[in-house]
Amino acid sequence: MKLTAVIAAAALAGALPWLTSSNYIIGVALSACIFTVAAAALNLVYGYTGLLSFAQLGFWGIGGYATALTVMTFGGNFWLGLLCAALTNAVVALAIGYPALRTNRHAFVMTTLAFALLVSLVARDWVSLTRGPLGIPGLPPPTLFGYAFRTTPQFYLLAWAYALLALGFLYALCTSRIGRTLVAIKQNESLVRAQGISPMPYKLAAFAIAAAITGVAGGIYTFHLKIIDPLFLDFYYMQTFLIMVIIGGAGSFWGVVIAGVLMAALPEVLRFSEDWRMIIYGAVLLAAMLAMPGGVAGWLHAWRVARMRAAVR
Amino acid sequence: MEIDPLYLLQLTVNGIMLGLLYALIAVGLALIFGVLEIVNFAHGEFLMAGAFAMAFALPATGLSYWPSLFVAIFVTAVGGLILYELFLSRLQHGAFERSILITLAISIIILHAAQFAFSANPRMVDTQYGFDGFSVGAIRVTWTRVIGAGAAVAAFALLYAVLNHTQFGRAMRAIAQNREAALMVGIKPRAVARNAVVLATALCGLAGAALAPVQLVTPAMGQALIFKAFALVIIGGLGNIPGAIAAALILGLIESWIGGFFEIVWQEAAVFVLMIAVLCLRPEGLFKRGAMRVG
Repeated sequence: MKLTAVIAAAALAGALPWLTSSNYIIGVALSACIFTVAAAALNLVYGYTGLLSFAQLGFWGIGGYATALTVMTFGGNFWLGLLCAALTNAVVALAIGYPALRTNRHAFVMTTLAFALLVSLVARDWVSLTRGPLGIPGLPPPTLFGYAFRTTPQFYLLAWAYALLALGFLYALCTSRIGRTLVAIKQNESLVRAQGISPMPYKLAAFAIAAAITGVAGGIYTFHLKIIDPLFLDFYYMQTFLIMVIIGGAGSFWGVVIAGVLMAALPEVLRFSEDWRMIIYGAVLLAAMLAMPGGVAGWLHAWRVARMRAAVR
Repeated sequence: MEIDPLYLLQLTVNGIMLGLLYALIAVGLALIFGVLEIVNFAHGEFLMAGAFAMAFALPATGLSYWPSLFVAIFVTAVGGLILYELFLSRLQHGAFERSILITLAISIIILHAAQFAFSANPRMVDTQYGFDGFSVGAIRVTWTRVIGAGAAVAAFALLYAVLNHTQFGRAMRAIAQNREAALMVGIKPRAVARNAVVLATALCGLAGAALAPVQLVTPAMGQALIFKAFALVIIGGLGNIPGAIAAALILGLIESWIGGFFEIVWQEAAVFVLMIAVLCLRPEGLFKRGAMRVG
């Protein structure tokens, strides 16, 4: 039943370019695919492992720059660029993650934040590599066996395929023994240690995998925008990922995916006023944290438990 | 490289003044972390609020420095009271991630509301002292910087006295050191937490007001400084007030020296590189919480 629903939804999303001719709707759906993947990767780190990481923004930016630089400066193609983005991010995540994870969870949050800011400083100030605030414009459309992903509907198919691949992988990971170990680490790390499992490799692996997935998402999104500049590291993206995870319910895979798809449309709805958009975003985050810290999924879960208790009584 | 000793001395003086202002921000964060065990992401917006309060109070009081400074401190202290009563008091103890996301949301709202109300254009703030200064030999310092640094030192002395010699401050230290024991001897955590937040935001308002005549006032000015302050409290050891002050002074000096001799990129990156290096060597921060904590 659930499987059928998922396959039907995925097929429907894939058929979108044939259902509508509006480039605007397809563009929003493309953002939804990419942002949902990034939110699901954040969910792996924050929701499952319990590590609130602001470094996702840095990985998103590194992924975008690595892909763009591979194509424009080092003469590789798009697919090599994505591979570079994933590998660079995994290596950086291991290098940053190891010292950051040795501290307590309070210091971890702030270290990852500092890392994200460091990345945006580098993007802005290392002018000889990144061209600084000028950015790298004119990114060419990627090609695969002579087929060019040139128009928005064509590029949408690429984003859709990546979303399927990444979400499928994350789902398999989260429901596997590794995923259950991550949840156990979040709930009671001392108990996990007592069971003879070292938490560090698991935490580090979750951090690095999320970094690689976010990086590739950033790389694809950059080529959709056809330009990368330091604004790609705007804190706005981090807020978007966070709000998706929190509204959906941290630690709930489908909650976050559904919230990701729905929330990607929210900035478009709020676009009536640039000035008010971010204020409303902040208010949504504040209201969600005060009213339902577990997100919609947590709220549904609590409701279901309450109903079961009532039935038993 | 030939180093002119006078130039180096000038950089050192500037660095100490910069470090004292960083310390005002970092001390507030350390105090809030020590008592509530949360990180206030909206702290930078309080700095900005202090600077804007100063910018508006100065023309109203005929450019007199001190009354405006007190207006700014009062405004941010009231803001801190509202922040605590409306939002932070609802948090259960230990809800660390939730506290971050709530204060982050508040920071987004205040920042963009300020941009909406005051526009993003930077504004200059003029005081009765203008750009006058005094010279010792070849070293020249403006009065607004000297007074800012002096006010910071006075605030630290006052904070030290309050924390060590009043019931108000002892209760704060008690909660920070052992929450359960403090509860048992009848200290109210809610009242103490409120006092700590108000005190921290007042210090932040002082920093903002002292910075206003020294640099340009923009809605985003808090953002740039707050991230450095986060790094500072980590370097100093979370919740450790002397550690935060020491780390801030060190950073002020390092930034000033680097800014004088190298490219500006390194000046901005120094704090993050320093933090990652400290975390690799001493994960608990330079000054571990425990041995010499005050907050």
